[in-house]
Amino acid sequence: MCGPALSGLNENTGTELDSGMKRLLRFSAVLGGTGAFALIAKGAMAASESGGGGTLPQLDVGTFPTQIFWLFVTFIVLYIAMSKVAIPRIEYVLEERHSRIAEDLDKAGKLKADAEEVQANYEKALADARGSAQKLIGKTKDEAAGKNAKAEAEADAVAAKQVKEAEARIDEARTEALANVKDVVSEVAGDAVAKLIGVKVTKTDLKKAVALAMETK
Amino acid sequence: MASPVAQFELKSYGPQIEVGGVDLSFTNSAAMMVVAIVGIVAFLTVSMSGRKLVPGRWQLMAELSYEFVANMVKENVGSEGRKYFPFIFSLFMFILFSNLFGMVPIPEIHYTPTSQIIVTFAMAFVVFIGVTLIALARHGLKFFTFFFPSGAPVYMAPLLIPIEVISYFVRPVSLSVRLFANMMAGHTMLKVFGGFVVALGVFGVAPLALIVALTAFEILVAVLQAYVFTILTCLYLHDAIHLH
Repeated sequence: MCGPALSGLNENTGTELDSGMKRLLRFSAVLGGTGAFALIAKGAMAASESGGGGTLPQLDVGTFPTQIFWLFVTFIVLYIAMSKVAIPRIEYVLEERHSRIAEDLDKAGKLKADAEEVQANYEKALADARGSAQKLIGKTKDEAAGKNAKAEAEADAVAAKQVKEAEARIDEARTEALANVKDVVSEVAGDAVAKLIGVKVTKTDLKKAVALAMETK
Repeated sequence: MASPVAQFELKSYGPQIEVGGVDLSFTNSAAMMVVAIVGIVAFLTVSMSGRKLVPGRWQLMAELSYEFVANMVKENVGSEGRKYFPFIFSLFMFILFSNLFGMVPIPEIHYTPTSQIIVTFAMAFVVFIGVTLIALARHGLKFFTFFFPSGAPVYMAPLLIPIEVISYFVRPVSLSVRLFANMMAGHTMLKVFGGFVVALGVFGVAPLALIVALTAFEILVAVLQAYVFTILTCLYLHDAIHLH
């Protein structure tokens, strides 16, 4: 597409100028903004050339060999310098930095894993301690409760025994008292009978009568 | 006022070197090429001499230029492009430094080698030949299927094949003319406005301000055209390796 443009560059008649501009626009297609500037430049160049009547120095074929020659010499020197010295040097530094970063990250990861392990151990120990403490508390509580119950039972038994003894004593006292009451009653009754009717009633009869009276009551 | 294109004339230095009747004298163009490669080698070796783990400013610039081209090759050519990386890197740095040093008014030798069509064409032609040879070596005769897009109807062949062949052979021309035209246009324009500064006297301040802006713009163009040349080389290499 730019092929014929090359040959058109050394023609600077008025009619060619227009198409030359178009071509230059196309040259600068990659660089949108350059188009306008290139146009101005081309116009100025063409104007001055038509005045001076000179041609573009770039199209002087006589200068081509020396330029190609020096281009190749310098470029080959540059290529060797780049591929043998500059690029390996940059790559070495980048590589070293890369491996250093990877190494550091590795180390950090390992340390983190270690720390996590330590934390897990700590937590496990804590849980264990808590568990055993809980167990101990439970055991102690149970023991205390057992002891309490036993002591309570013992105390209850003692109290019950005492109550029973007391009751027995009370019963004994009552029967004794009752027996005394019978004697007194029969004596009183005998005396009363003797006084009232002058009959001496025997003790056994009296007792019988009292017992009978008490039973019927 | 000197012609704005007079700046593109070559001046020879030192003894006249002639080999077989061909003039190979050392010129200002050659001098600037030497300046460029010395600049590149100095930039990349001196800045990397510290080999610091945490780079300084200069080392970072060297590393960034390496990574810039390395990523370009990786993304556009693929992993097979690895062995062509030194060439592409050299190409990029050479064009970049030639363009940028061309912006520096170094006394006497001031010149922009890439504003010479023969220089850009020689580089583009080497790329073209190299890419074609790589394609032929990798694919043999299958390479010629490149000129007929797969999936296109057969009756389109008489139209498509000439188009593809022409567009293939025009590659070195478009590649070289793009760089050459951008460089030449920029430098010519700066020269024209420079002439205005002198001609307008006090009012020359206006074109002077424009020149300042244009100089910044030309630095952008210098970098961008080095990038464009390199990325197109990568794309051609991708075509050669993968055939579409």
